Amino acid sequence: MSIEVSTPPRVEADLSRSRAEAPPRWARERVARAILHDALDGLRRNGLMAAAAISTIVVALAVAGGGILASANLMHLASILEGQVEIVAFLRDGLSPADHERVLAAVRALSSVRSATVVNKTAALRRLQRSFGTPSSMSDLLPSNPLPDSIEVRVVDARQVRAVAGMVGRISGVEEVVFGTPVVDRLVALTRAVRAGGTALAALLAAASLLIIVNTIRMTVAARRQEIEIMSLVGATPGFIRGPFMLEGALQGAAAAALTTVLLVAGYASLAARVSTSLPFLPLLAPAAVLPAAVAIVWILATAVGIGGSMIGLRRYLRA
Amino acid sequence: MIQFDGVGKHYPTGVAALQDVTLRIESGEFVFLVGPTGSGKSTFLKLVQRIERPTSGRVMVDGVNVGALPPADVPYLRRRLGVVFQEFKLLVDRSVADNVAFAMRVTGVDPIEIAPRVHWALEVVGLAGRAADLPAGLSGGEQQRVGVARAIVNLPRLLLADEPTGNLDPEAAWEIMHLLSAINLRGTTVVVTTHNPTLVDILRRRVVALNGGRIIRDEHRGLYAAAR
Repeated sequence: MSIEVSTPPRVEADLSRSRAEAPPRWARERVARAILHDALDGLRRNGLMAAAAISTIVVALAVAGGGILASANLMHLASILEGQVEIVAFLRDGLSPADHERVLAAVRALSSVRSATVVNKTAALRRLQRSFGTPSSMSDLLPSNPLPDSIEVRVVDARQVRAVAGMVGRISGVEEVVFGTPVVDRLVALTRAVRAGGTALAALLAAASLLIIVNTIRMTVAARRQEIEIMSLVGATPGFIRGPFMLEGALQGAAAAALTTVLLVAGYASLAARVSTSLPFLPLLAPAAVLPAAVAIVWILATAVGIGGSMIGLRRYLRA
Repeated sequence: MIQFDGVGKHYPTGVAALQDVTLRIESGEFVFLVGPTGSGKSTFLKLVQRIERPTSGRVMVDGVNVGALPPADVPYLRRRLGVVFQEFKLLVDRSVADNVAFAMRVTGVDPIEIAPRVHWALEVVGLAGRAADLPAGLSGGEQQRVGVARAIVNLPRLLLADEPTGNLDPEAAWEIMHLLSAINLRGTTVVVTTHNPTLVDILRRRVVALNGGRIIRDEHRGLYAAAR
């Protein structure tokens, strides 16, 4: 058998170039183009693997996104419950309207007060009549209106209700201050638990999703370890090897984030519409109020973890 | 081309893969590395490629102290080497031409240069007509010829072949050895590890025999086993 090795065609690339010489701009552009080409080519060649990875990431992201939405709504519920806490300051009998205004101004001046309104005795009686369902007959039965003028105070933070009540009680012209002490205490404990539970739920689901996504991307990298090994042995730089994989990880993450966005937006909008008709007392956040933040977190999580997962997956194959 | 000065390689497991190896392989030589499994042949090739670092001594390849090379410079060393593997290491989802071109593309060669050089490398190994085929459609010998084409396509000054005929029938093994000899005739230094006594004994090239990590024999027109 006779084998003849002909002269190879002349090639412009200098394979002995060392790292110390900075590559010219055309070379950097060529590398960038090659990385983009390789990333797209990698996704195309490993389409089934990429599809499996994207599906897994979508499920993980949907769980994380659902957790974020649930958490946001629990926080919202806690705020609504706390917003119901009210202090009633009964005013001394015989105060003039000017005195009412003075006391009201003093109450409003307190930093923890969200709102304060004067309810005079006539309005209080009307409200009582409404709550008993007896139109005008009650005033006919009583010789005079026994109810005092009052100021209804709402606080910024339910946990401060006791302190605010104390300060309001010391204002001149206030006879007595009432708030449902045991109810407020229980409510504060409940909302604290709801807040902590909501945060823990979102953090737990996000962490679980993070692990699933990192592992999924790592598996796609591991499936191509021979390719990585050959690249490394023929002299591809670690940056050139990492580039396409990181880009692929980011693209897979972005594709999964796009699908998850559709799922979350459609799912939450449909849930919010159903709840508003079937369970109108349930205070669900409006889609526009909560979805942008949830979707943004999903996108950041997906692309960052897509890139991070690729880097972690590659690390063990790129030890020089 | 390759110079080992008192080189030792001890793995953390306690295995001494190479011990006090001193050897000089000149540019343009064809060398067989022989010895039983575990004698240090593969470690020798790993040290040349800087897959491993020596634990003692100095490894020089083409004028470069490989052990002291910063990690960022390792790819540029490897671009001067061609490597042929026993198990071929071809990418099964890419054509023959794409497998050969792969070694050029990932080292940033201008795409315009790739096609003519891939064609040349495939002509050298006699597979220009199979460029579009997938590796699965080729015989073992043909797959290894693709491996050789990939190893030479970047015009290496040094070609390392780790048991290149280990998975081949005798006829295919001969073809690969002829190919490596022809490449050597053009001036490329070739280092081949092998367990095949027939090939070594017929070709009568320089033979370096290793055992227990030490060189036990170095003959210029040697045989696989020591002459009695």
